Amino acid sequence: MKTNFKKIAKDGIISSNPTLKLVLGTCPTLALTTAAMNGIGMGLAVTFVLICSNILISLLRKAIPKQVRIPAFILIIATFVTIVRLALDYYLPDIYESLGLYLPLIVVNCIILARAESFASKNGVLASAADGLFMGIGFTLALTTMGAVREILGAGAIFGYKLWDFSIGFFSSSAGAFFTYAIFIVLFALITDSIAEKTKLAEKNNNGDFTKPIEEAK
Amino acid sequence: MKFYKTVWFKCIACLLVIALISGASITVLANLWEVSATERTARAIKKIYGEEKEYSVILDADGEDEIIEYDGVGTVNKVYDVSGDLLFRTTGYKGYKNGTITLWIKAAKNGETYAIDKIILQSAEKQTLMSKLSGDFYDGFKLTDVTAAYNDKSFFSASDKTATNYNPVSGATYSATAATNAVNCVIRYLGGER
Repeated sequence: MKTNFKKIAKDGIISSNPTLKLVLGTCPTLALTTAAMNGIGMGLAVTFVLICSNILISLLRKAIPKQVRIPAFILIIATFVTIVRLALDYYLPDIYESLGLYLPLIVVNCIILARAESFASKNGVLASAADGLFMGIGFTLALTTMGAVREILGAGAIFGYKLWDFSIGFFSSSAGAFFTYAIFIVLFALITDSIAEKTKLAEKNNNGDFTKPIEEAK
Repeated sequence: MKFYKTVWFKCIACLLVIALISGASITVLANLWEVSATERTARAIKKIYGEEKEYSVILDADGEDEIIEYDGVGTVNKVYDVSGDLLFRTTGYKGYKNGTITLWIKAAKNGETYAIDKIILQSAEKQTLMSKLSGDFYDGFKLTDVTAAYNDKSFFSASDKTATNYNPVSGATYSATAATNAVNCVIRYLGGER
């Protein structure tokens, strides 16, 4: 069966965005988005683990007995998380310190186990790698954008560079994290739903001819 | 049915193989990417001074020296001389679930005495609420005359609101206690308790 990479990309970043649509990986999303840099660091770490674990699980999917698939997946995920920890501590100590406790907690991140169980264990290597990559990109984009907004409003800075002295402390607090997350989920749902609605309308008016632009169809 | 053809044997064998390969690869990479104690010290100095600096060892518990322990308070693990200043690596006890906090503390030469003027975190064991201890919290430990503080028995306290420079931290009381104990170790050391 031919792999639909376009669909995998769209699912990972928009339709099934792990953070803003599926509401998975909430713990690091709320705790680490006080700064945009944390979002990038965490996002890239999760993306690496997602790609590697998806590839390995896909490769071993026929060899792992279904009775022990979850412990086997956890073992594989934990190995890659440990590798990320070692590499970050060695090469990027500042990011390693800022991610702190949440780095080892990637092992129990629902996004990774969910993709392993629902996608990688049922699909080929290339498709699984692509799924890991795009889910990771979706997660990274969500965390970085949320981190940027909270950093600008809560600290008056972006990527550590001071923009102005004005800041609203609330956005750096835990309550601010929940508030920002809620706003992001609502906005993302509104935007994606409106795009989906327009696409549906265009498809209906074009009677299946997707080559016609929306305006012409109306 | 033969033993090695049973499902449970396959399950155990599969998990064992994955665990062995995982363990082997992690061991190799851990050796390859090991951050030495010297490198960690250099990192701490760069973070505190903003640049790399030469230093000499006064006390190193990882080397030949014995660790200096203050009962129920904490330990002084390392002391370095960095351009006349003293740089301490101390561990404070009594954190959350009896966990510890390890800090790097710079004691700058101030005439005949020393002044605590910069503190950064090295590691925190079991302290999940460490993020609540922000830069403001550590700034509360700045002290211009450590000897006078020791002579007056004016140690920092995370619970006594009348104590010097008390800096309340809601929700992270245990972590704050461990951090406070780590700083008090430096005061005791510089006060002559060695």
